Amino acid sequence: MSTVPHSTLRRDLGLVSWQIRYEQRSYWRNRGRAFFTFAFPLMFLVIFASIDKGSHIASRGGIPYDDFFIPGILAYAIIATTFTNLAISTAILQEAGVLKRMQGTPLPRWAYVSARIGSTCLITLAITVVVLVAGVALWGLHFPAGGLPGLIITLVLGTAAFTTLGIGMTRFIPNADSGPVLVNLLILPITFISNIWFPTDNLPGVLKTIASIFPLKALASGLQWVFDPRHHGTPLDGDSVKILAIWTAIGIWLMIKFLRRPQGEVV
Amino acid sequence: MNSDQHHSTRDRVIEVRGLRRSYGDIEAVRGVSFEVARGEVFCLLGPNGAGKTTIVEILEGYRSRTSGEATVLGLDPASGSRALHERVGIVLQQCGVQPDLTVSELVEMYGRYHVRQRSVDEVIDLVELSEKRDERAKQLSGGQRRRLDLAIALVGDPDLIFLDEPTTGFDPAARRAAWSAIKSLCELGKTIFLTTHFMDEAQFLADHVAVMRDGQIIASGRPEDLGGRDLRPAEIRFTLPAGGVSAADVPALPGEQRSVQGDRVIVTTREPVRAAQVLTTWAVDNAVDLGHFSVTQPTLEDIYLELTGSGDHNQTREEQSA
Repeated sequence: MSTVPHSTLRRDLGLVSWQIRYEQRSYWRNRGRAFFTFAFPLMFLVIFASIDKGSHIASRGGIPYDDFFIPGILAYAIIATTFTNLAISTAILQEAGVLKRMQGTPLPRWAYVSARIGSTCLITLAITVVVLVAGVALWGLHFPAGGLPGLIITLVLGTAAFTTLGIGMTRFIPNADSGPVLVNLLILPITFISNIWFPTDNLPGVLKTIASIFPLKALASGLQWVFDPRHHGTPLDGDSVKILAIWTAIGIWLMIKFLRRPQGEVV
Repeated sequence: MNSDQHHSTRDRVIEVRGLRRSYGDIEAVRGVSFEVARGEVFCLLGPNGAGKTTIVEILEGYRSRTSGEATVLGLDPASGSRALHERVGIVLQQCGVQPDLTVSELVEMYGRYHVRQRSVDEVIDLVELSEKRDERAKQLSGGQRRRLDLAIALVGDPDLIFLDEPTTGFDPAARRAAWSAIKSLCELGKTIFLTTHFMDEAQFLADHVAVMRDGQIIASGRPEDLGGRDLRPAEIRFTLPAGGVSAADVPALPGEQRSVQGDRVIVTTREPVRAAQVLTTWAVDNAVDLGHFSVTQPTLEDIYLELTGSGDHNQTREEQSA
Protein backbone atom coordinates (compact mmCIF):
# COMPACT_ATOMS: atom_id res chain seq x y z
CA MET A 1 0.00 0.00 0.00
CA SER A 2 3.05 2.22 0.15
CA THR A 3 2.82 3.24 -3.49
CA VAL A 4 -0.78 4.45 -3.39
CA PRO A 5 -1.01 7.62 -5.46
CA HIS A 6 -2.29 10.65 -3.66
CA SER A 7 -5.52 10.78 -5.66
CA THR A 8 -6.31 7.13 -4.86
CA LEU A 9 -5.86 7.77 -1.16
CA ARG A 10 -8.17 10.76 -1.33
CA ARG A 11 -10.75 8.73 -3.18
CA ASP A 12 -10.44 5.92 -0.63
CA LEU A 13 -10.92 8.32 2.27
CA GLY A 14 -14.04 9.52 0.48
CA LEU A 15 -15.18 5.89 0.27
CA VAL A 16 -14.56 5.46 4.00
CA SER A 17 -16.80 8.42 4.78
CA TRP A 18 -19.53 7.05 2.48
CA GLN A 19 -19.19 3.62 4.04
CA ILE A 20 -19.58 5.13 7.52
CA ARG A 21 -22.97 6.47 6.41
CA TYR A 22 -24.06 3.03 5.21
CA GLU A 23 -22.82 1.45 8.45
CA GLN A 24 -24.76 4.06 10.45
CA ARG A 25 -27.96 3.30 8.55
CA SER A 26 -27.44 -0.41 9.10
CA TYR A 27 -26.89 0.09 12.83
CA TRP A 28 -29.88 2.30 13.58
CA ARG A 29 -32.27 0.34 11.36
CA ASN A 30 -31.64 -2.88 13.25
CA ARG A 31 -33.95 -1.99 16.13
CA GLY A 32 -33.08 -5.05 18.18
CA ARG A 33 -29.37 -4.41 18.16
CA ALA A 34 -29.70 -0.64 18.61
CA PHE A 35 -31.90 -1.26 21.64
CA PHE A 36 -29.64 -3.91 23.07
CA THR A 37 -26.43 -1.92 22.67
CA PHE A 38 -27.62 1.70 22.94
CA ALA A 39 -30.95 1.98 24.80
CA PHE A 40 -30.23 -0.81 27.30
CA PRO A 41 -27.33 0.95 29.07
CA LEU A 42 -29.36 4.19 29.12
CA MET A 43 -32.22 2.34 30.78
CA PHE A 44 -29.88 1.18 33.57
CA LEU A 45 -28.59 4.71 33.87
CA VAL A 46 -32.07 6.13 34.41
CA ILE A 47 -33.10 3.46 36.90
CA PHE A 48 -30.00 3.27 39.07
CA ALA A 49 -28.97 6.92 38.91
CA SER A 50 -32.46 7.87 40.11
CA ILE A 51 -32.44 5.29 42.91
CA ASP A 52 -28.98 6.32 44.03
CA LYS A 53 -29.61 10.06 43.89
CA GLY A 54 -28.71 11.75 47.13
CA SER A 55 -26.81 8.80 48.63
CA HIS A 56 -23.09 8.76 49.29
CA ILE A 57 -20.34 6.15 49.41
CA ALA A 58 -18.80 6.09 52.88
CA SER A 59 -15.94 3.80 51.84
CA ARG A 60 -14.92 6.31 49.20
CA GLY A 61 -14.70 9.35 51.40
CA GLY A 62 -18.44 10.06 51.18
CA ILE A 63 -18.52 11.02 47.51
CA PRO A 64 -21.99 11.21 45.89
CA TYR A 65 -23.07 7.75 44.66
CA ASP A 66 -23.88 9.07 41.20
CA ASP A 67 -20.35 10.43 40.78
CA PHE A 68 -19.35 6.78 41.01
CA PHE A 69 -22.24 5.14 39.24
CA ILE A 70 -22.57 7.38 36.17
CA PRO A 71 -18.92 6.95 35.03
CA GLY A 72 -19.35 3.21 35.73
CA ILE A 73 -22.44 2.90 33.54
CA LEU A 74 -20.65 4.98 30.91
CA ALA A 75 -17.96 2.27 30.86
CA TYR A 76 -20.70 -0.35 30.44
CA ALA A 77 -22.31 1.68 27.64
CA ILE A 78 -19.01 1.98 25.80
CA ILE A 79 -18.45 -1.77 26.06
CA ALA A 80 -21.98 -2.38 24.72
CA THR A 81 -21.62 -0.07 21.72
CA THR A 82 -18.11 -1.26 20.83
CA PHE A 83 -17.32 -4.79 21.98
CA THR A 84 -20.82 -6.28 22.18
CA ASN A 85 -22.03 -4.54 19.02
CA LEU A 86 -18.99 -5.37 16.89
CA ALA A 87 -18.50 -8.95 18.03
CA ILE A 88 -22.16 -9.85 17.40
CA SER A 89 -22.56 -7.95 14.14
CA THR A 90 -19.24 -9.06 12.65
CA ALA A 91 -20.10 -12.69 13.38
CA ILE A 92 -23.41 -12.17 11.56
CA LEU A 93 -21.70 -10.50 8.59
CA GLN A 94 -19.18 -13.30 8.42
CA GLU A 95 -21.77 -16.06 8.55
CA ALA A 96 -23.97 -14.37 5.94
CA GLY A 97 -20.98 -14.11 3.60
CA VAL A 98 -20.96 -10.30 3.57
CA LEU A 99 -17.29 -10.20 4.55
CA LYS A 100 -16.53 -12.55 1.69
CA ARG A 101 -18.50 -10.41 -0.71
CA MET A 102 -16.72 -7.25 0.47
CA GLN A 103 -13.40 -8.97 -0.16
CA GLY A 104 -14.34 -9.40 -3.82
CA THR A 105 -14.95 -5.67 -4.34
CA PRO A 106 -12.36 -2.97 -5.13
CA LEU A 107 -12.94 -1.40 -1.69
CA PRO A 108 -9.66 -1.99 0.18
CA ARG A 109 -10.02 -4.06 3.32
CA TRP A 110 -8.48 -1.31 5.48
CA ALA A 111 -11.11 1.12 4.19
CA TYR A 112 -13.97 -1.20 5.10
CA VAL A 113 -12.57 -1.92 8.56
CA SER A 114 -11.91 1.79 9.12
CA ALA A 115 -15.51 2.56 8.25
CA ARG A 116 -16.81 -0.13 10.62
CA ILE A 117 -14.60 1.28 13.38
CA GLY A 118 -15.43 4.89 12.47
CA SER A 119 -19.14 4.20 12.61
CA THR A 120 -18.72 2.47 15.98
CA CYS A 121 -16.79 5.47 17.31
CA LEU A 122 -19.64 7.79 16.29
CA ILE A 123 -22.12 5.64 18.22
CA THR A 124 -19.78 5.56 21.21
CA LEU A 125 -19.36 9.32 21.06
CA ALA A 126 -23.14 9.74 20.94
CA ILE A 127 -23.77 7.58 23.98
CA THR A 128 -20.91 9.24 25.90
CA VAL A 129 -22.40 12.66 25.29
CA VAL A 130 -25.89 11.46 26.23
CA VAL A 131 -24.72 9.81 29.46
CA LEU A 132 -22.58 12.76 30.57
CA VAL A 133 -25.05 15.49 29.64
CA ALA A 134 -27.93 13.61 31.25
CA GLY A 135 -25.70 12.86 34.26
CA VAL A 136 -24.90 16.52 34.84
CA ALA A 137 -28.39 17.80 34.01
CA LEU A 138 -30.56 15.21 35.76
CA TRP A 139 -28.50 13.68 38.54
CA GLY A 140 -26.05 16.41 39.39
CA LEU A 141 -22.90 14.63 38.20
CA HIS A 142 -19.95 16.79 39.18
CA PHE A 143 -17.89 17.43 36.09
CA PRO A 144 -14.36 17.99 37.36
CA ALA A 145 -12.56 21.21 36.54
CA GLY A 146 -9.46 20.32 34.52
CA GLY A 147 -10.62 16.73 34.15
CA LEU A 148 -11.23 16.87 30.42
CA PRO A 149 -7.81 15.67 29.17
CA GLY A 150 -7.86 12.68 31.53
CA LEU A 151 -11.45 11.90 30.51
CA ILE A 152 -10.58 12.04 26.81
CA ILE A 153 -7.48 9.87 27.16
CA THR A 154 -9.36 7.23 29.15
CA LEU A 155 -12.32 7.28 26.72
CA VAL A 156 -10.10 7.00 23.65
CA LEU A 157 -8.05 4.14 25.06
CA GLY A 158 -11.14 2.31 26.32
CA THR A 159 -12.87 2.68 22.97
CA ALA A 160 -9.74 1.50 21.14
CA ALA A 161 -9.37 -1.56 23.38
CA PHE A 162 -12.99 -2.69 23.20
CA THR A 163 -13.40 -1.92 19.48
CA THR A 164 -10.41 -3.97 18.41
CA LEU A 165 -11.24 -6.72 20.90
CA GLY A 166 -14.80 -6.81 19.57
CA ILE A 167 -13.65 -7.42 15.99
CA GLY A 168 -10.93 -9.84 17.10
CA MET A 169 -13.43 -11.74 19.26
CA THR A 170 -15.29 -12.81 16.11
CA ARG A 171 -12.67 -15.52 15.62
CA PHE A 172 -13.94 -17.29 18.71
CA ILE A 173 -17.63 -17.13 17.82
CA PRO A 174 -18.47 -20.39 16.06
CA ASN A 175 -21.73 -19.14 14.49
CA ALA A 176 -23.89 -16.04 14.44
CA ASP A 177 -26.58 -17.50 16.71
CA SER A 178 -24.16 -18.10 19.55
CA GLY A 179 -22.72 -14.56 19.29
CA PRO A 180 -25.02 -12.74 21.75
CA VAL A 181 -24.90 -15.62 24.25
CA LEU A 182 -21.12 -15.91 24.19
CA VAL A 183 -20.50 -12.18 24.37
CA ASN A 184 -22.83 -11.70 27.32
CA LEU A 185 -21.52 -14.76 29.07
CA LEU A 186 -18.10 -13.20 28.82
CA ILE A 187 -19.03 -9.62 29.74
CA LEU A 188 -21.87 -9.79 32.25
CA PRO A 189 -20.23 -11.78 35.09
CA ILE A 190 -17.13 -9.60 34.92
CA THR A 191 -19.21 -6.41 35.20
CA PHE A 192 -20.23 -7.49 38.70
CA ILE A 193 -16.65 -7.50 39.95
CA SER A 194 -15.54 -4.45 37.95
CA ASN A 195 -16.85 -1.37 39.76
CA ILE A 196 -19.67 -0.98 37.29
CA TRP A 197 -22.87 -1.53 39.29
CA PHE A 198 -21.46 -0.96 42.79
CA PRO A 199 -18.02 -0.36 44.33
CA THR A 200 -16.06 -3.60 44.36
CA ASP A 201 -13.31 -2.37 46.66
CA ASN A 202 -14.11 -4.99 49.34
CA LEU A 203 -14.28 -8.11 47.17
CA PRO A 204 -12.32 -11.26 48.08
CA GLY A 205 -8.75 -11.14 46.80
CA VAL A 206 -9.23 -13.76 44.07
CA LEU A 207 -12.12 -11.91 42.47
CA LYS A 208 -10.21 -8.65 42.73
CA THR A 209 -7.25 -10.22 40.96
CA ILE A 210 -9.48 -11.62 38.21
CA ALA A 211 -11.15 -8.24 37.74
CA SER A 212 -7.81 -6.46 37.59
CA ILE A 213 -6.71 -8.59 34.62
CA PHE A 214 -9.62 -7.62 32.38
CA PRO A 215 -10.08 -4.20 30.79
CA LEU A 216 -13.66 -3.69 32.12
CA LYS A 217 -12.61 -2.60 35.59
CA ALA A 218 -9.77 -0.54 34.14
CA LEU A 219 -12.20 1.45 32.00
CA ALA A 220 -14.76 1.89 34.81
CA SER A 221 -12.14 2.79 37.42
CA GLY A 222 -10.31 5.06 35.01
CA LEU A 223 -13.50 7.03 34.34
CA GLN A 224 -14.49 7.04 38.03
CA TRP A 225 -11.07 8.39 38.91
CA VAL A 226 -11.65 11.43 36.71
CA PHE A 227 -14.98 12.21 38.42
CA ASP A 228 -13.76 11.54 41.96
CA PRO A 229 -13.24 14.93 43.69
CA ARG A 230 -10.49 13.41 45.85
CA HIS A 231 -8.31 12.97 42.76
CA HIS A 232 -8.45 16.51 41.48
CA GLY A 233 -4.95 17.56 40.64
CA THR A 234 -3.99 14.09 39.41
CA PRO A 235 -6.35 13.90 36.45
CA LEU A 236 -5.45 10.42 35.20
CA ASP A 237 -5.53 6.92 36.73
CA GLY A 238 -2.15 5.55 35.62
CA ASP A 239 -2.87 1.90 36.45
CA SER A 240 -6.11 1.84 34.46
CA VAL A 241 -4.51 3.56 31.52
CA LYS A 242 -1.70 1.01 31.51
CA ILE A 243 -4.11 -1.94 31.50
CA LEU A 244 -6.23 -0.36 28.76
CA ALA A 245 -3.12 0.24 26.66
CA ILE A 246 -2.06 -3.41 27.03
CA TRP A 247 -5.53 -4.58 26.03
CA THR A 248 -5.53 -2.22 23.07
CA ALA A 249 -2.32 -3.88 21.88
CA ILE A 250 -3.87 -7.33 22.37
CA GLY A 251 -7.02 -6.14 20.61
CA ILE A 252 -5.11 -4.86 17.59
CA TRP A 253 -3.21 -8.15 17.37
CA LEU A 254 -6.42 -10.22 17.58
CA MET A 255 -8.18 -7.97 15.09
CA ILE A 256 -5.38 -8.24 12.54
CA LYS A 257 -5.30 -12.02 12.99
CA PHE A 258 -9.03 -12.16 12.34
CA LEU A 259 -8.90 -9.82 9.34
CA ARG A 260 -6.03 -11.69 7.70
CA ARG A 261 -8.07 -14.87 7.57
CA PRO A 262 -9.24 -15.32 3.99
CA GLN A 263 -13.01 -15.43 3.85
CA GLY A 264 -13.13 -17.83 0.93
CA GLU A 265 -11.27 -20.80 2.30
CA VAL A 266 -13.52 -23.37 3.90
CA VAL A 267 -11.12 -26.18 4.61
CA MET B 1 -13.25 -29.15 -31.40
CA ASN B 2 -11.56 -26.35 -29.60
CA SER B 3 -12.16 -23.45 -31.90
CA ASP B 4 -10.42 -20.93 -29.64
CA GLN B 5 -6.87 -21.94 -30.36
CA HIS B 6 -6.22 -19.11 -32.72
CA HIS B 7 -7.32 -16.36 -30.30
CA SER B 8 -4.55 -13.92 -29.55
CA THR B 9 -3.52 -13.25 -25.95
CA ARG B 10 -5.55 -10.05 -25.96
CA ASP B 11 -8.72 -11.93 -26.66
CA ARG B 12 -8.17 -14.44 -23.88
CA VAL B 13 -9.94 -13.25 -20.76
CA ILE B 14 -9.09 -16.33 -18.71
CA GLU B 15 -6.22 -18.76 -19.16
CA VAL B 16 -5.76 -21.77 -16.93
CA ARG B 17 -2.94 -24.32 -17.26
CA GLY B 18 -2.48 -27.46 -15.19
CA LEU B 19 -4.47 -26.03 -12.28
CA ARG B 20 -4.43 -28.11 -9.10
CA ARG B 21 -5.87 -27.60 -5.65
CA SER B 22 -5.67 -29.96 -2.70
CA TYR B 23 -7.43 -29.82 0.64
CA GLY B 24 -5.27 -31.93 2.87
CA ASP B 25 -5.14 -35.35 1.25
CA ILE B 26 -8.04 -34.67 -1.07
CA GLU B 27 -7.24 -33.28 -4.48
CA ALA B 28 -10.33 -31.31 -5.51
CA VAL B 29 -8.90 -30.01 -8.79
CA ARG B 30 -6.52 -32.30 -10.65
CA GLY B 31 -4.76 -30.56 -13.45
CA VAL B 32 -7.33 -28.49 -15.31
CA SER B 33 -6.58 -26.37 -18.39
CA PHE B 34 -8.88 -24.15 -20.43
CA GLU B 35 -9.24 -20.73 -22.00
CA VAL B 36 -12.10 -18.29 -22.14
CA ALA B 37 -12.30 -15.87 -25.04
CA ARG B 38 -13.60 -12.31 -24.83
CA GLY B 39 -17.35 -12.02 -25.22
CA GLU B 40 -17.91 -15.73 -24.74
CA VAL B 41 -20.21 -17.53 -22.30
CA PHE B 42 -18.07 -20.29 -20.85
CA CYS B 43 -19.77 -22.94 -18.77
CA LEU B 44 -18.29 -25.41 -16.29
CA LEU B 45 -20.83 -28.19 -16.11
CA GLY B 46 -20.66 -31.02 -13.65
CA PRO B 47 -22.27 -32.73 -10.67
CA ASN B 48 -21.95 -31.32 -7.15
CA GLY B 49 -18.48 -31.94 -5.75
CA ALA B 50 -16.80 -32.07 -9.17
CA GLY B 51 -14.58 -29.10 -8.28
CA LYS B 52 -16.45 -26.32 -10.10
CA THR B 53 -16.72 -23.92 -7.18
CA THR B 54 -13.07 -24.44 -6.22
CA ILE B 55 -12.04 -23.39 -9.73
CA VAL B 56 -14.32 -20.35 -9.78
CA GLU B 57 -13.15 -19.24 -6.36
CA ILE B 58 -9.51 -19.57 -7.42
CA LEU B 59 -10.25 -17.38 -10.45
CA GLU B 60 -12.15 -14.88 -8.28
CA GLY B 61 -9.16 -14.64 -5.93
CA TYR B 62 -10.88 -16.22 -2.91
CA ARG B 63 -8.81 -19.38 -2.86
CA SER B 64 -5.18 -20.14 -3.44
CA ARG B 65 -4.07 -22.79 -5.91
CA THR B 66 -1.73 -25.62 -5.06
CA SER B 67 -0.04 -25.52 -8.46
CA GLY B 68 -0.57 -24.55 -12.06
CA GLU B 69 -1.10 -21.24 -13.79
CA ALA B 70 -4.14 -18.99 -13.80
CA THR B 71 -4.53 -15.62 -15.46
CA VAL B 72 -7.66 -13.49 -15.37
CA LEU B 73 -7.74 -10.36 -17.55
CA GLY B 74 -3.96 -10.63 -17.76
CA LEU B 75 -3.52 -10.65 -13.96
CA ASP B 76 -2.86 -13.36 -11.40
CA PRO B 77 -6.06 -13.76 -9.37
CA ALA B 78 -4.05 -14.83 -6.29
CA SER B 79 -2.46 -11.36 -6.16
CA GLY B 80 -5.72 -9.87 -4.86
CA SER B 81 -5.12 -6.97 -7.23
CA ARG B 82 -7.55 -4.11 -6.93
CA ALA B 83 -7.37 -3.59 -10.70
CA LEU B 84 -8.87 -7.05 -11.09
CA HIS B 85 -11.70 -6.40 -8.62
CA GLU B 86 -12.50 -3.24 -10.60
CA ARG B 87 -13.17 -5.23 -13.76
CA VAL B 88 -14.75 -8.41 -12.43
CA GLY B 89 -18.32 -8.91 -11.24
CA ILE B 90 -18.98 -11.83 -8.92
CA VAL B 91 -22.17 -13.70 -8.12
CA LEU B 92 -21.26 -16.16 -5.39
CA GLN B 93 -23.31 -19.04 -4.13
CA GLN B 94 -25.22 -18.13 -0.96
CA CYS B 95 -23.59 -14.84 -0.20
CA GLY B 96 -25.47 -12.31 1.86
CA VAL B 97 -25.67 -8.53 1.77
CA GLN B 98 -26.11 -5.95 4.53
CA PRO B 99 -29.67 -6.97 5.51
CA ASP B 100 -30.97 -3.58 6.69
CA LEU B 101 -30.07 -1.60 3.58
CA THR B 102 -32.52 -1.25 0.70
CA VAL B 103 -32.08 -2.58 -2.82
CA SER B 104 -31.18 0.83 -4.23
CA GLU B 105 -28.84 1.65 -1.33
CA LEU B 106 -26.98 -1.62 -1.81
CA VAL B 107 -26.60 -1.25 -5.57
CA GLU B 108 -25.43 2.34 -5.04
CA MET B 109 -23.02 1.32 -2.24
CA TYR B 110 -21.36 -1.49 -4.18
CA GLY B 111 -21.25 0.76 -7.23
CA ARG B 112 -19.28 3.43 -5.38
CA TYR B 113 -16.38 1.04 -4.87
CA HIS B 114 -15.75 1.05 -8.62
CA VAL B 115 -14.12 3.81 -10.61
CA ARG B 116 -16.35 2.90 -13.55
CA GLN B 117 -20.01 2.64 -12.60
CA ARG B 118 -23.30 2.02 -14.30
CA SER B 119 -26.42 3.93 -13.40
CA VAL B 120 -28.11 2.44 -10.33
CA ASP B 121 -31.60 2.77 -11.82
CA GLU B 122 -30.55 1.15 -15.08
CA VAL B 123 -29.05 -1.85 -13.31
CA ILE B 124 -32.08 -2.26 -11.05
CA ASP B 125 -34.30 -2.13 -14.14
CA LEU B 126 -32.16 -4.70 -15.92
CA VAL B 127 -32.68 -7.28 -13.15
CA GLU B 128 -36.36 -6.30 -12.86
CA LEU B 129 -36.26 -5.15 -9.24
CA SER B 130 -37.62 -1.63 -9.81
CA GLU B 131 -40.70 -2.32 -7.72
CA LYS B 132 -38.54 -3.53 -4.85
CA ARG B 133 -35.98 -0.73 -4.92
CA ASP B 134 -36.96 0.65 -1.50
CA GLU B 135 -37.38 -2.74 0.18
CA ARG B 136 -34.71 -3.86 2.61
CA ALA B 137 -32.63 -6.79 1.46
CA LYS B 138 -33.89 -9.00 4.28
CA GLN B 139 -37.46 -8.65 3.00
CA LEU B 140 -36.69 -10.02 -0.48
CA SER B 141 -37.59 -13.51 -1.64
CA GLY B 142 -34.85 -15.95 -2.63
CA GLY B 143 -35.20 -15.24 -6.33
CA GLN B 144 -35.26 -11.48 -5.78
CA ARG B 145 -32.13 -11.71 -3.66
CA ARG B 146 -30.39 -13.62 -6.43
CA ARG B 147 -31.33 -10.85 -8.87
CA LEU B 148 -29.98 -8.32 -6.39
CA ASP B 149 -26.71 -10.32 -6.40
CA LEU B 150 -26.64 -9.95 -10.16
CA ALA B 151 -27.33 -6.20 -9.94
CA ILE B 152 -24.47 -5.77 -7.44
CA ALA B 153 -22.17 -7.73 -9.76
CA LEU B 154 -23.14 -5.54 -12.71
CA VAL B 155 -23.11 -2.06 -11.21
CA GLY B 156 -19.31 -1.80 -11.52
CA ASP B 157 -19.64 -2.31 -15.27
CA PRO B 158 -17.37 -5.38 -15.27
CA ASP B 159 -15.72 -6.91 -18.33
CA LEU B 160 -15.95 -10.39 -16.85
CA ILE B 161 -18.77 -11.81 -14.76
CA PHE B 162 -18.58 -14.96 -12.66
CA LEU B 163 -21.89 -16.69 -12.04
CA ASP B 164 -21.64 -19.63 -9.66
CA GLU B 165 -24.81 -21.71 -10.04
CA PRO B 166 -26.92 -18.62 -10.63
CA THR B 167 -30.31 -20.31 -10.84
CA THR B 168 -30.08 -23.04 -8.19
CA GLY B 169 -33.32 -22.98 -6.23
CA PHE B 170 -35.26 -20.98 -8.82
CA ASP B 171 -38.71 -21.89 -10.04
CA PRO B 172 -38.98 -22.41 -13.83
CA ALA B 173 -40.27 -18.88 -14.51
CA ALA B 174 -37.50 -17.28 -12.45
CA ARG B 175 -34.91 -19.37 -14.27
CA ARG B 176 -36.21 -18.21 -17.63
CA ALA B 177 -36.05 -14.61 -16.41
CA ALA B 178 -32.48 -15.08 -15.17
CA TRP B 179 -31.48 -16.67 -18.45
CA SER B 180 -32.80 -13.77 -20.44
CA ALA B 181 -30.96 -11.35 -18.13
CA ILE B 182 -27.74 -13.30 -18.70
CA LYS B 183 -28.35 -13.36 -22.45
CA SER B 184 -28.75 -9.60 -22.40
CA LEU B 185 -25.32 -9.34 -20.76
CA CYS B 186 -23.81 -11.19 -23.69
CA GLU B 187 -25.32 -8.61 -25.98
CA LEU B 188 -23.39 -5.97 -24.00
CA GLY B 189 -20.20 -7.80 -24.95
CA LYS B 190 -19.46 -9.11 -21.46
CA THR B 191 -17.53 -12.31 -20.93
CA ILE B 192 -19.39 -14.71 -18.67
CA PHE B 193 -17.99 -17.59 -16.67
CA LEU B 194 -20.84 -19.79 -15.53
CA THR B 195 -20.99 -22.92 -13.43
CA THR B 196 -24.06 -25.08 -13.31
CA HIS B 197 -25.25 -28.63 -12.85
CA PHE B 198 -28.21 -28.05 -15.15
CA MET B 199 -27.67 -29.30 -18.69
CA ASP B 200 -30.46 -27.21 -20.14
CA GLU B 201 -28.86 -24.11 -18.65
CA ALA B 202 -25.53 -24.89 -20.30
CA GLN B 203 -27.31 -25.70 -23.56
CA PHE B 204 -29.27 -22.47 -23.53
CA LEU B 205 -26.55 -20.06 -22.42
CA ALA B 206 -23.10 -21.39 -23.20
CA ASP B 207 -20.90 -20.87 -26.24
CA HIS B 208 -18.42 -23.32 -24.79
CA VAL B 209 -18.97 -26.08 -22.24
CA ALA B 210 -16.38 -27.94 -20.19
CA VAL B 211 -17.72 -31.00 -18.38
CA MET B 212 -16.08 -31.81 -15.04
CA ARG B 213 -15.96 -34.97 -13.03
CA ASP B 214 -13.77 -35.70 -10.01
CA GLY B 215 -11.68 -32.56 -10.39
CA GLN B 216 -10.93 -33.01 -14.08
CA ILE B 217 -12.35 -31.76 -17.33
CA ILE B 218 -13.53 -34.86 -19.16
CA ALA B 219 -14.98 -33.20 -22.24
CA SER B 220 -15.03 -29.76 -23.71
CA GLY B 221 -16.56 -28.11 -26.74
CA ARG B 222 -19.59 -26.28 -28.08
CA PRO B 223 -22.84 -27.59 -26.58
CA GLU B 224 -23.92 -28.79 -30.06
CA ASP B 225 -20.95 -31.06 -30.57
CA LEU B 226 -19.88 -31.82 -27.02
CA GLY B 227 -18.56 -35.35 -26.60
CA GLY B 228 -18.88 -35.92 -30.34
CA ARG B 229 -22.61 -35.36 -30.12
CA ASP B 230 -22.75 -34.16 -33.72
CA LEU B 231 -21.02 -37.34 -34.90
CA ARG B 232 -23.16 -39.76 -32.92
CA PRO B 233 -25.70 -41.86 -34.80
CA ALA B 234 -29.28 -40.65 -34.83
CA GLU B 235 -32.28 -42.82 -34.06
CA ILE B 236 -35.32 -43.22 -36.29
CA ARG B 237 -38.26 -44.71 -34.44
CA PHE B 238 -41.60 -45.86 -35.74
CA THR B 239 -44.28 -48.51 -35.27
CA LEU B 240 -45.67 -50.73 -38.02
CA PRO B 241 -49.40 -50.88 -38.66
CA ALA B 242 -51.21 -53.97 -37.38
CA GLY B 243 -51.54 -56.81 -39.95
CA GLY B 244 -49.91 -57.18 -43.32
CA VAL B 245 -46.47 -55.56 -43.01
CA SER B 246 -43.64 -57.14 -40.99
CA ALA B 247 -40.30 -55.64 -40.03
CA ALA B 248 -38.62 -57.74 -42.70
CA ASP B 249 -40.63 -55.90 -45.39
CA VAL B 250 -39.00 -52.56 -44.51
CA PRO B 251 -36.21 -51.96 -47.04
CA ALA B 252 -32.56 -51.72 -46.06
CA LEU B 253 -31.72 -48.15 -45.01
CA PRO B 254 -28.38 -46.37 -45.45
CA GLY B 255 -25.90 -47.10 -42.66
CA GLU B 256 -28.48 -48.68 -40.43
CA GLN B 257 -28.56 -50.95 -37.42
CA ARG B 258 -32.05 -52.13 -36.74
CA SER B 259 -33.72 -53.38 -33.60
CA VAL B 260 -37.27 -54.70 -33.59
CA GLN B 261 -39.50 -55.18 -30.57
CA GLY B 262 -42.92 -56.44 -31.72
CA ASP B 263 -44.31 -53.73 -33.97
CA ARG B 264 -41.80 -51.12 -32.74
CA VAL B 265 -38.71 -50.51 -34.84
CA ILE B 266 -35.63 -48.47 -33.87
CA VAL B 267 -33.16 -47.72 -36.65
CA THR B 268 -29.75 -46.37 -35.64
CA THR B 269 -27.93 -44.63 -38.44
CA ARG B 270 -25.21 -42.12 -39.14
CA GLU B 271 -27.08 -40.97 -42.22
CA PRO B 272 -30.43 -39.99 -40.77
CA VAL B 273 -31.47 -37.71 -43.63
CA ARG B 274 -31.01 -40.27 -46.39
CA ALA B 275 -32.34 -43.12 -44.27
CA ALA B 276 -35.49 -41.15 -43.48
CA GLN B 277 -35.97 -40.38 -47.15
CA VAL B 278 -35.71 -44.04 -48.22
CA LEU B 279 -37.99 -45.11 -45.40
CA THR B 280 -40.69 -42.51 -45.97
CA THR B 281 -40.61 -43.00 -49.78
CA TRP B 282 -41.16 -46.72 -49.27
CA ALA B 283 -43.95 -46.08 -46.78
CA VAL B 284 -45.75 -43.61 -49.00
CA ASP B 285 -45.37 -45.75 -52.17
CA ASN B 286 -46.72 -48.84 -50.41
CA ALA B 287 -49.34 -46.98 -48.39
CA VAL B 288 -47.85 -48.21 -45.11
CA ASP B 289 -49.00 -46.04 -42.24
CA LEU B 290 -45.96 -45.65 -39.93
CA GLY B 291 -46.95 -44.63 -36.39
CA HIS B 292 -44.99 -42.57 -33.81
CA PHE B 293 -42.44 -41.57 -36.41
CA SER B 294 -39.44 -39.61 -35.02
CA VAL B 295 -35.80 -38.81 -35.74
CA THR B 296 -33.61 -37.83 -32.74
CA GLN B 297 -30.02 -36.87 -32.07
CA PRO B 298 -28.62 -37.73 -28.63
CA THR B 299 -29.41 -34.84 -26.25
CA LEU B 300 -26.80 -32.97 -24.24
CA GLU B 301 -28.31 -34.71 -21.25
CA ASP B 302 -27.56 -38.15 -22.77
CA ILE B 303 -23.97 -37.11 -23.37
CA TYR B 304 -23.62 -35.53 -19.94
CA LEU B 305 -24.98 -38.55 -18.10
CA GLU B 306 -22.74 -40.80 -20.15
CA LEU B 307 -19.69 -38.65 -19.39
CA THR B 308 -20.30 -38.10 -15.70
CA GLY B 309 -21.92 -41.48 -15.08
CA SER B 310 -20.57 -44.60 -13.41
CA GLY B 311 -17.76 -45.00 -15.92
CA ASP B 312 -19.28 -47.84 -17.99
CA HIS B 313 -18.68 -45.81 -21.05
CA ASN B 314 -15.06 -45.35 -21.85
CA GLN B 315 -15.66 -41.93 -23.29
CA THR B 316 -13.23 -39.96 -21.17
CA ARG B 317 -11.58 -37.41 -23.35
CA GLU B 318 -8.52 -35.44 -22.59
CA GLU B 319 -9.38 -31.81 -22.48
CA GLN B 320 -8.12 -30.28 -25.66
CA SER B 321 -6.03 -27.21 -25.32
CA ALA B 322 -3.64 -25.29 -27.47
